[in-house]
Amino acid sequence: MVAYMPGVEVPVSPDPADALASVVALRRLADRIEDAAVEQAMRAGWNWPQVAEALGVTRQAVHKKHAKRLIAAGVALRRR
Amino acid sequence: MSAFGSYLRTVMDLGRDEARQDGSDTVEAQHLLLAITAGPDEVPRQVLAAAGLDHQTVMDALDREFEHSLAAAGASAAAFNLPRASTSLKRPHLGASAKLAVERGFTGQKDPQPADLLLGILRAQAGPVPRALDLAGVDQDDLAQRTLLARASQDR
Repeated sequence: MVAYMPGVEVPVSPDPADALASVVALRRLADRIEDAAVEQAMRAGWNWPQVAEALGVTRQAVHKKHAKRLIAAGVALRRR
Repeated sequence: MSAFGSYLRTVMDLGRDEARQDGSDTVEAQHLLLAITAGPDEVPRQVLAAAGLDHQTVMDALDREFEHSLAAAGASAAAFNLPRASTSLKRPHLGASAKLAVERGFTGQKDPQPADLLLGILRAQAGPVPRALDLAGVDQDDLAQRTLLARASQDR
């Protein structure tokens, strides 16, 4: 198994403890990036269908996951 | 409510705050450990402090573990330069590692004490907490032993 960074090949650690911990950390990082990226996109004027399509999920799913947080943060949300 | 019930409620509330700050939908063992360092009972706090662990050092150790585990897959959080997302308003629910810590700490306890939650957390053999403690140079078994001793002296 190999993870890629630009121009660098890094083999995932052969130690199962490290490999499993990297799964947990990558999921956490992905969640953080999703929260930040969705907020950034909505602040930039994207609408829910566009964000949903970019993430490869349904509009309902992305709305359910992020709408309350963004409304509370004062982000002006575009439906369409 | 008993003194212990009041302690547990406070630590769970603090753990939920830690989870929210962390952007997590679930309260995990690491959030409870952070909560204990800021919690109202001196016994577990002092055991941790004697091992050099307060809120900031636990937070630093967890951050280090996060980067270390990402690096095992060739990734880095620092590589993503996005602004921090707004905090979620959802009430985080108890996650798998926190449930295990509660189960390990309190199962069979007739007279539960605040130190038991810390013991439950320290009985984990895998996950971010043992890895963070290891990276911080803390002997987890020794810390658990010291927690047991502190609990016993509290009983007297």
